[in-house]
Amino acid sequence: MKRFIALGSAILLLAVVAAWWTNSRQPKPIVLIPTLTGKPEYCLTCHSDLREISPSHPVKTFGCVICHGGEPLALDANLAHSTMRGGANPSDLSVVQESCGGSNCHSGSAADNNDHIQRVMTSVQSTYAGAIANILYTFGVEPDLTARFGIHAVTDDVITTTTGLPALQVFDPTKQTNPSVLKFAANCLNCHINAQPLPGSQFDRLTGCAACHTPDVESFPKGQIHELTTAIPYTQCNTCHNRGNYDLRTMTFVQRTDQPLPTDRLHNYYQPIAQFTKCEYTLDCIDCHTRTEAMGDGDIHSNMKQIQYIQCQTCHGTPTQLPQTKTLTDPNDIAFRLAQLNPVVDLKLGDTILVTSKGEPLWNTRVLPDGTYQLVGKATGQVFTFKPVMGSGCTQNGIDQSSAYCHTCHSVQR
Amino acid sequence: MSDLTRRDFLKLTTTALLTISGALGVGALFRFLDFQTEPPVKTEFDLGPAVNYPIGSRSLVPDVPALLIHNQNGFSALSLVCTHLGCTVEQKDSGFECPCHGSRYDANGKVLRGPAQKALRALRVEVNSTGNLILHTD
Repeated sequence: MKRFIALGSAILLLAVVAAWWTNSRQPKPIVLIPTLTGKPEYCLTCHSDLREISPSHPVKTFGCVICHGGEPLALDANLAHSTMRGGANPSDLSVVQESCGGSNCHSGSAADNNDHIQRVMTSVQSTYAGAIANILYTFGVEPDLTARFGIHAVTDDVITTTTGLPALQVFDPTKQTNPSVLKFAANCLNCHINAQPLPGSQFDRLTGCAACHTPDVESFPKGQIHELTTAIPYTQCNTCHNRGNYDLRTMTFVQRTDQPLPTDRLHNYYQPIAQFTKCEYTLDCIDCHTRTEAMGDGDIHSNMKQIQYIQCQTCHGTPTQLPQTKTLTDPNDIAFRLAQLNPVVDLKLGDTILVTSKGEPLWNTRVLPDGTYQLVGKATGQVFTFKPVMGSGCTQNGIDQSSAYCHTCHSVQR
Repeated sequence: MSDLTRRDFLKLTTTALLTISGALGVGALFRFLDFQTEPPVKTEFDLGPAVNYPIGSRSLVPDVPALLIHNQNGFSALSLVCTHLGCTVEQKDSGFECPCHGSRYDANGKVLRGPAQKALRALRVEVNSTGNLILHTD
């Protein structure tokens, strides 16, 4: 009996020594108690070298766990990471509601302009509804171009536009029989923000919100991608929008033929066949296209054309009409919040800015005292001045002012 | 040499092992029962002698963070934690601005611009028996 007690004691002693030794090998935890959660987390023990993700999400206020999930008090890497949301990318749409959502964050109300997640989930950028509807109509599966399917199923209880749809079912290729539709499903479902990018550095991007808001992924050291920005350069849009074309005969993606891509913007910005004006290759996409166009308006639409509405006349007006403007009198105007997130302009009460036909503020513009306009590049900070069409030599009919008409005279030759 | 027999040696070893194991076990139990993941959050800050803050002064207390105000009505303090999501607001012009989401407050902490909806929190300040200012955040 005594032998067993001695043996047991020896084993216990060894176990205690082993536990002490293991514990002594653990790093000394760096404790962070974020203001927002008030709960301690040890993530900075290993990740103190990570840069702040954005001025709007300081780690001192938000911490890491509120976005990334994980085990806040674990010092073992595998355990700490075991319950992370979306792996290294909590903005992936499969987990975005838990990570970026919350009524104070990005799943708030439309009235507060905090309904980002609802808008993105219903937008064509994530549903890919337009391409799917087009293919199904083209090959006789559906009777018209109205979208019925998306990459993910989605519903919308509050329809605010004439083209808004109540719901989309999930597009299930196993229920299709048409060979072209099957090829489309096999080869072409990689052009939306749920999909992993194609191989090749020119396609590098993340999924979900980070597909747009985390630019220049390839420039980060592996595993150190930690940036969110609203100053999105055109190169980020190009990871999807300027890469090549889908060949409808073979149902395959055909990359641009001018590889490696030209480095000057004039030749890089658009595919060789496209027409464009000077501002289209000089500015970044987000200098003209609004958050509603890019992230959606909360309604489910059948295609991109139903949501994209910015035209040359939005900024330049027509021969008979000046562009719409608005003088900022309300300190809570959304223009101030947008300008604060990307402070390339110092917007003040009393400033007059351009607005779109839907009333969205083009907060990076300003009407100058001499009647001309100023635009500051959201990604570059470059200052551009421009004049209205009214009073110029333009003789174009006022109602034919879509960009296709403007390209007729103003496209740049390459 | 002592007359330590093999039996005595084993007995001594067993007793020693049992004693050490018992002591370690009791120590571990105390440590377990006494364990605190983190010390409680500090809610009381000694700001030093009150005379260091003359009338008309507005002093930043970064550790809290707060702004200590001394005017004709006495001492008062404003929390510099934005009531929107908890970022630390910065003094700007004659008020405060949150660098995270742009909320603005006037010099008294009243909201001038959202997204914050509530004014900056007023904190309690008192002078203790030694003449030091004590700031309370609870």
